[in-house]
Amino acid sequence: MEPVALLSDWQFVVSNWRFLLLGTVVTILLTLSSLSLGFLLGFPAGAIEVYGDGWLKSAVNTVGVILRGTPIVVLIVLFFFALPIPRLGTVPVIDMQMNAFIAATLALGLRSAAYQGQVFRGSIQSIASGQMEAARSIGMTKLQAVRHVIFPQAVRRSLPGFQNEFTIVLKDTSVAFAIGLAELLTRAERLYLQPGRDTAVIEVIIVISAIYFILTFTTNRALDRLQQRYAIPGGNE
Amino acid sequence: MSLLRIENVDKSYGDEDVLHDVSFAMETQDVEVIVGPSGSGKSTLLRCVNRLTEIDSGAIYLNDEEIHSLDENELRRRVGMVFQDFSLFAHLTARGNITLGLREVLELPKEEAVAKADDYLDRVGLADQGDSYPAELSGGQQQRVGIARALAMDPDLLLFDEPTSALDPELIGDVLRVMNDLAEEGMTMLCVTHEMGFARSAASTVTFLDEGRIVERGPPEQLFENPEHDRTNAFLGELSGLH
Ligand SMILES: Nc1ncnc2c1ncn2[C@@H]1O[C@H](COP(=O)(O)OP(=O)(O)OP(=O)(O)O)[C@@H](O)[C@H]1O
Ligand SMILES: [Mg+2]
Repeated sequence: MEPVALLSDWQFVVSNWRFLLLGTVVTILLTLSSLSLGFLLGFPAGAIEVYGDGWLKSAVNTVGVILRGTPIVVLIVLFFFALPIPRLGTVPVIDMQMNAFIAATLALGLRSAAYQGQVFRGSIQSIASGQMEAARSIGMTKLQAVRHVIFPQAVRRSLPGFQNEFTIVLKDTSVAFAIGLAELLTRAERLYLQPGRDTAVIEVIIVISAIYFILTFTTNRALDRLQQRYAIPGGNE
Repeated sequence: MSLLRIENVDKSYGDEDVLHDVSFAMETQDVEVIVGPSGSGKSTLLRCVNRLTEIDSGAIYLNDEEIHSLDENELRRRVGMVFQDFSLFAHLTARGNITLGLREVLELPKEEAVAKADDYLDRVGLADQGDSYPAELSGGQQQRVGIARALAMDPDLLLFDEPTSALDPELIGDVLRVMNDLAEEGMTMLCVTHEMGFARSAASTVTFLDEGRIVERGPPEQLFENPEHDRTNAFLGELSGLH
């Protein structure tokens, strides 16, 4: 490969920084919406798996098994084409097609809920049964005990698993590429598929990899801080 | 009227009889010490009194009210429990461990709950440890917080399940001192413990439980000096050999 050609490929990437930045914005939005949905559904699901019974518990369990057992690309494509999501148009500037964004959020969010639920379930179950008994023995109801004694400890213990889940969801937003959502990978492809730009494939991919890395790295450090900040003094969790 | 009356209580797990026809009564300000070999049903008996475990048959009365006719949370507010492994709320400070029940169960305003918690911490000799978390306290300190937590709910009866058996020997004294003080102040206490010194000095009655049955029951002097049954003699002899 000619050094000059290489240089012009890098120049091509740099001159399109704004185009990639907008893709980064979509990637971040999709990560946040999916993680939030995953948290809102996953934590109750984990609690139901421990404290619930009957049909609710088996329903949560079955849905979880299905979601964890299906490839994420399959879920995204399925939701995009099979769900009656209304055509809501496109968000200007970031060029984000709303119904693709919703399908991707549902797929990534529900799958994340299935995993976050497992993390939370494990955390609840790891808390010594004596904690619940101590709470009940001063006259707290089961709900009060769960809320004031079990949850605060379980959420802390879930942070490492949540951190892991964050990284997975962020990287997996790239599968929204399969339904053409203008996130980072889709925009990268649009760049190097332009006529005569196929020499820049590697440069473009290196740059977006670096962006994914910076996002996961900085957020993980921030979550480390959060974990230290809320660690129980003297405890080893 | 007895404070606590246990009548013909049976309890089994599967086909294992854990408590068999257990009956006794305690008056206000009594200190009842229960001794017995491992697996004899001591913990089960205590847990039946605050309904952490449900009995199969028989009846238990607190102030002449059958405990199963009471709301279980109301019962537990009136019957405090101190655990062998302390079971302090790990994410709360010593003070927070006490205020939680005061705030959530007794619904005291915050300032009042904090003042009361500090008061009880002072009573168990931990006035300076209010801001410490359980993992920052010694076992003896944790257990004293456990006692303060139970006491702060202003119970009619306190249950102790081997409160010192998880402690290093040098830490046992502090906890026993608190228990002795409580006994002197007239707290009604039902204690499973093998601390014979405490039984001699504080107990009004000692009960020897074996294989889920009450073998013998009486004032400490009688059980220790003049037991009626050979089994009591053998068990207590073994215990005093240990201590
Ligand atoms: N939840 C339970 N399920 C099944 N069996 C139980 C349960 N709790 C206690 N048991 C059994 O009941 C019997 C009495 O147990 P309990 O804990 O009351 O004895 P203990 O006198 O307190 O013994 P220790 O001195 O070892 O604490 C034991 O054989 C125990 O295995
Ligand atoms: Mg026991």
